[in-house]
Amino acid sequence: MKQKLLYALAAPMLLASTVAQAADSKDLQAILKEVRDMKQAYETRIQSLESQIKTLSQSQSKVQAKRVPGSGNTKVKGNAFNPSVSAVVVGTATSFSRTASEFAGFGVGEEGERGSEGLSLGETELNFSSNIDDKFYGSVTAAIVREDGSDLVELEEAYFQTLPGAGLPDGVQLKAGRAFWKLGYLNEHHQHADDFADRPLTHRVFLNKSFNDDGAEISYVLPTDTYAEVGGGVFRGDDFPFGGSVSGLGGWSAFGRVGGDIGDDGSWRLGAYGVHGDVNSRASNEDAITFTGQSDLYAVDLRYTWAPTGNASDKELILQAEYFHRLEDGVYNVGSGLVSFDEDASGWYAQAVYKFAPAWRVGARYSRLHAPDVPLGLVGSDLDSSGHDPDAFAIMGDWTNSEYGRIRMQYNREELANNASDNQFFLQYIMSIGAHGAHPY
Amino acid sequence: MFNRCVLPVVAAAMLLVTTGSASAAVKVFACEPEWAALAREIGGERVTAYAATHARQDPHHIRARPSLVAKIRRAKLVICSGAGLEVGWLPLLLQRGGRGIQPGTSGHLMTSDHVEVIEKPISIDRSLGDLHPEGNPHVHLDPQNMLRLAKVVSQRLSTIDPAGASHYAGRLQRFTEAWSAEMVGWQKRAAALKGQPVIVHHKFWSYLLQWIGLQEAGTLEAKPGIAPSVAHLGSLLSIVRTTKVRAVLRTPYDDDGPSNWLTSRTSIPVLELPATVERDAGPGALAAYFNQLLARLETGLGRQ
Repeated sequence: MKQKLLYALAAPMLLASTVAQAADSKDLQAILKEVRDMKQAYETRIQSLESQIKTLSQSQSKVQAKRVPGSGNTKVKGNAFNPSVSAVVVGTATSFSRTASEFAGFGVGEEGERGSEGLSLGETELNFSSNIDDKFYGSVTAAIVREDGSDLVELEEAYFQTLPGAGLPDGVQLKAGRAFWKLGYLNEHHQHADDFADRPLTHRVFLNKSFNDDGAEISYVLPTDTYAEVGGGVFRGDDFPFGGSVSGLGGWSAFGRVGGDIGDDGSWRLGAYGVHGDVNSRASNEDAITFTGQSDLYAVDLRYTWAPTGNASDKELILQAEYFHRLEDGVYNVGSGLVSFDEDASGWYAQAVYKFAPAWRVGARYSRLHAPDVPLGLVGSDLDSSGHDPDAFAIMGDWTNSEYGRIRMQYNREELANNASDNQFFLQYIMSIGAHGAHPY
Repeated sequence: MFNRCVLPVVAAAMLLVTTGSASAAVKVFACEPEWAALAREIGGERVTAYAATHARQDPHHIRARPSLVAKIRRAKLVICSGAGLEVGWLPLLLQRGGRGIQPGTSGHLMTSDHVEVIEKPISIDRSLGDLHPEGNPHVHLDPQNMLRLAKVVSQRLSTIDPAGASHYAGRLQRFTEAWSAEMVGWQKRAAALKGQPVIVHHKFWSYLLQWIGLQEAGTLEAKPGIAPSVAHLGSLLSIVRTTKVRAVLRTPYDDDGPSNWLTSRTSIPVLELPATVERDAGPGALAAYFNQLLARLETGLGRQ
């Protein structure tokens, strides 16, 4: 209809203006040809316009039909080109039966100590992560923590890692900066993703919660049908279990792990890790104890997950255990002079978490440490366990509204020193604002 | 001392595993079983396709588990639905995959990029639930899409494995002919079901509904991915009473509580339809799947 109307208007007007000037039939022929050409051109343009209108109105009606009620007109696009930005707010309310609970037999860093009692906001994590370009991925996580009455920023992670486009051989990945390095299952994960409100005794004692020294790590996924990955790293040597790096290259690590499926709905992973390095005046127990020497730490981790229906979001059982073994060779100073020390310490934890309904999980964890024998010069000091092996038992229950919000209750019974049982209650909330990078496998 | 032995032993074991035989077939990593089945249809014996999920698994919520890292590491072609369906796990896996399967390469195939995607939301906010900004990703439920995608899969396989180009072209032609012949019958059966109102648990079935012409009278999830509330179910009750809804459709992995609640208060049946084919589905399984879907709908809804 529209075409015809346009022709009816356009053709006579053009004719009228040109015919008057036409002297002979030759001219007229040329003019008529011109008009035909114009008609043709208009027809094509109108057709294309019409089809455009048709597609537009079709897609519009589709979109409108499926529009979410109550939503505005603003379109918020995914962060295709901007980094994912997130903040994780973790808060706790705690109640402890003892005024203090100190480890017997170990020098413990500040992060490894018992948390504060009462209401407190734990670490608030800010994360930015994104592909940097076709070759690199980067992530920065800063934690805002309250220490001694003031809010401090602690840089937890700031690293880049190579993407497959970086030109390294397939399966090789290089990561550099500061990161939660591969050293057992928990160490690689941010604490907000943990299944319990506090880290197990092993991590508090051997890693001061986590090992995130400055350094670089390379890993290689083998081209095998069963998952197998090997790798290693070099580190500055400033972070627990090291400390006070002199050379700036004080530690190195190696690891290997394998994994696979059991049936359609079960998965397992087994790994072995070792970090070795120099320690220079590593302070612990609020600077009351210092150690200088060498520290070798070995870890073995095993994790098994099983989703009875195939859907981990529905029902899931997670069994997880890690074993740590530390050899320290050097000198301890507990305030009464240097005492040479060459001893083994070890510890382990095992936990089971069961999701019985999509939003509800329960879990139990047991952890135990074997303190080193102490030389004569340390008898009676904080490093003397008097034959006691610190242990802790925890049970928890949590409610997860969505992957972004979780509330947890936990009860711990810790006995870190002889006859020093501490009953602890935790009420914890973990809220993620925005999307953060996926957690490692 | 025990620990000093562990690392070398693990390393040696890994080296042994590495030297195992490598097969010449093109390794395909499919996020969902339907794409593994399609790859087998087109690739035949020249491909080995691995499905990362099985038919009773919700592909929204999969963990990037170790076995998947190993599988994607060796894959030459990755076929997934895309449109954000696998956003929680695929990017992590791809980081450990080869260069040839990264976005933008011929080894990286997101099927929703090659068909018309419906239900693109105008507005996105977390409070609206788990919305896919890219639209509905369950594109395998429209048999017409399968025809288009078979062609794309054949092209990709020919690029990755040029020596097999004629093999893939031949199999594509046979698949296209067989599928088109089936489509004639399916269209007739679909026409008989057209216009009937149904309620769905999650907006999983939209492509099927659109193709058949079934009318979506409501969804049990008021917001995608968020469990239905009692108030919302109550409002659906009145819809059921006024619009003569014929059935409630759900997948095997949808929570059966809400649909059972609704059907116990009304006379309409619940139709639990398979979400896709089996994980190791061979040739013919995709066609059998659509026959099964139609048969279940015919018995469940009754012909008009």
